[in-house]
Amino acid sequence: MKMEELTPHIEELKRVVGEKASEEELIDELNTYLNVYHVSIEAAVKGIKRKYGDETPLFVTASSIAKKIKEMTGDEKNVDLVAKIVYIEEKQITARGVPKTIFSGILGDETGTIPFTVWDVGKFELVKGETYNFKNAYGKKWNDKVQLNFSERSTAEVSATPIKTPERTISYSGDVKISELREGLGNVTVTGKIVSAENKTITSKGETKTVLAGYIADDTGKVQFTSWNDLGLKVDEAVCAKNAYVRVWRGIPQLNFGDQCEISRVDGIFQNIQSGLNKRSIADIIKVGGGLDIAVTGTIVDVRTGTGLIKRCPECNRSIIGDECTSHGKVEAVNDLRMKIVIDDGTGALSSIVTRDATESLTGITLDAAMAMASDKGDQDAVLKAIDEKVLIMNVTAVGNVLSDDYGPMMIVREIKQIVTDMKKEAEELMVKVEASL
Amino acid sequence: MILRETAWRVFAGEMNLSTLERKGDDEKAPTYLITPLGTRLSRVLVAGVLLDKENIGSPEDPLWRARMEDVSGSYFINVGRYQPEAATAMASLETPSFVAVIGKIRTYRPDDTRMYVSIRPERIMKIDAETRQRIVLETAQATWGRLNNVKLALSMPDASIDDLVTKGMTREEAEGVTEAIGFYGTPESTRYLKLIQSSLRMLLPDKEIDLGLPEDVSDMPDEIVIDEKTTAGDVDKEDLVLNMLGELDKDGRGAPMDELIRRAATEGIANTELEEITNSLMDKGLVYEPVLGRLKRI
Repeated sequence: MKMEELTPHIEELKRVVGEKASEEELIDELNTYLNVYHVSIEAAVKGIKRKYGDETPLFVTASSIAKKIKEMTGDEKNVDLVAKIVYIEEKQITARGVPKTIFSGILGDETGTIPFTVWDVGKFELVKGETYNFKNAYGKKWNDKVQLNFSERSTAEVSATPIKTPERTISYSGDVKISELREGLGNVTVTGKIVSAENKTITSKGETKTVLAGYIADDTGKVQFTSWNDLGLKVDEAVCAKNAYVRVWRGIPQLNFGDQCEISRVDGIFQNIQSGLNKRSIADIIKVGGGLDIAVTGTIVDVRTGTGLIKRCPECNRSIIGDECTSHGKVEAVNDLRMKIVIDDGTGALSSIVTRDATESLTGITLDAAMAMASDKGDQDAVLKAIDEKVLIMNVTAVGNVLSDDYGPMMIVREIKQIVTDMKKEAEELMVKVEASL
Repeated sequence: MILRETAWRVFAGEMNLSTLERKGDDEKAPTYLITPLGTRLSRVLVAGVLLDKENIGSPEDPLWRARMEDVSGSYFINVGRYQPEAATAMASLETPSFVAVIGKIRTYRPDDTRMYVSIRPERIMKIDAETRQRIVLETAQATWGRLNNVKLALSMPDASIDDLVTKGMTREEAEGVTEAIGFYGTPESTRYLKLIQSSLRMLLPDKEIDLGLPEDVSDMPDEIVIDEKTTAGDVDKEDLVLNMLGELDKDGRGAPMDELIRRAATEGIANTELEEITNSLMDKGLVYEPVLGRLKRI
């Protein structure tokens, strides 16, 4: 290739690379690309630009499209938008076992707001209240909500013209019943009765702070709350909390009253406060992820190994094999009795661990009887078999807290009892429904 | 997060009519059998009367085949060595008796138009009459719920999955119903109402229950009858092939494939059909390939 033909490319390179390389170096580089590696002139120019720090995205699968927040559907592979940072925070997460810092927050434009995450924080400096031109972001759906994500190929430039966001800048889920609280709802308004409350001292971001923590309940359920400021909440008071937000711990939703939260007193509006049981279908529990004092009714469809007699460490109460605890070494093991069962109500399946008292009352086999059974037969599994025979296919109502982890939701059952279905009544009800529809 | 599959309550009359299979979205998700009412089956909980059972394996290495009847037809049941708990239970079950089964769906597809559905129990147990009634009731209630979901989906022909979820279906139900309607078309509701009617007649013997359904649809779907006959025919061929394998396996290293093909041809079993039979036998855990080109009975 003649020098004259290369000149415009070299000019372009000089402009992009600037001070980082001399013209001679650029010509040398270009020569290597073209005559040693025999790549096309376009590829050579691109390669050299990247080498000297050009940030133009290398792999763009589709040309980007510009959108407003309201138009986002969650399947955008490459989207540009102009938006204001309504809220931003730094978060520490663990991605594939490696600790990582990300930014997460909320973006707003004239049409609405959207949660966002910056996965590669190195190149982003985002300031709350500032408007940016975002390029090469991508959309995703999580928990049925659309989110915006910024990867390493995304860019953000401060926009000269700040945009106006609507008054209510945070996604708002409106009035929500306590049983419907789950992660990703945004701000919510919850009306309920304070069932219990106590002051707690916590350390947050190096500061010691006193918060009020307790339980709030409505006619659908009960949830733990934390009030981060003194809002004058009192036990037995019925309140409407506007702009509260949800955080989830091990699948259990918790309600938070933060700086934005407004509390108003309401007159006793609930006939039935669910401070006790919280009846749910298993499909519902799986959707939400967990909760407190939940009651499910279903069939025991499996009795798993790990059911029966177990040994626990007296220090940490974890189940151990033999007399060795992984944390406390050789210990005087404590005998215990439990069940690991699966309850299935036809909408979903829920793994459950049943504590000793509840196991004893459902099976009629006490810990002492179980120990005698095991030593009589010289077989640890004898207890598992006896329990299995008694409870498999039994219809039960179980009460406890439901937690979630990688293996899905799990109920820690503290009460369980057999349910006898009133078959005649239910069959008649079904008949009436079917006849009415014909 | 991998969730345990729900044990769906489903009548034989709904399950056996299914011919649509769909791999789940998740990498580790199972293949689901989608019924005409949109239930996505991988696991079921069913109850009925155990009518026949037969050990076609050996006492040491049992392979149980059984038939259980509910209000609507028969469930076909296979229990092999990989279901030790169910196999042990199977040995002591009597016919006839009330039995409940929790198990996985298995399908066998001899050609593009037919599909045979059976259950491979994880657990099978004797139950009392009351437990049987309870499971029938739950199944009738569930069938009623599914009929209503189908009706709702048909009334909103342009509805998206999200729209159906807004109307109160779970995502799973909405996806299943949409897929079922797309594949099977509008289900014959009378057929399913009859299942519910039969259940109610059993549960409320003192009541004269007549939902006024046309009598031309038999209480036992025709397919079940065809099902049994053809299944029997296929089973005979499977037995035939099993016998051949035994004869051709002269050195204990398995029967050579080419000899099996020649031998099958003399019995009127073409190559493609033989392949289906051997696949089905492998599926059932009756034969395996010790080396390429050889097939051996287990």
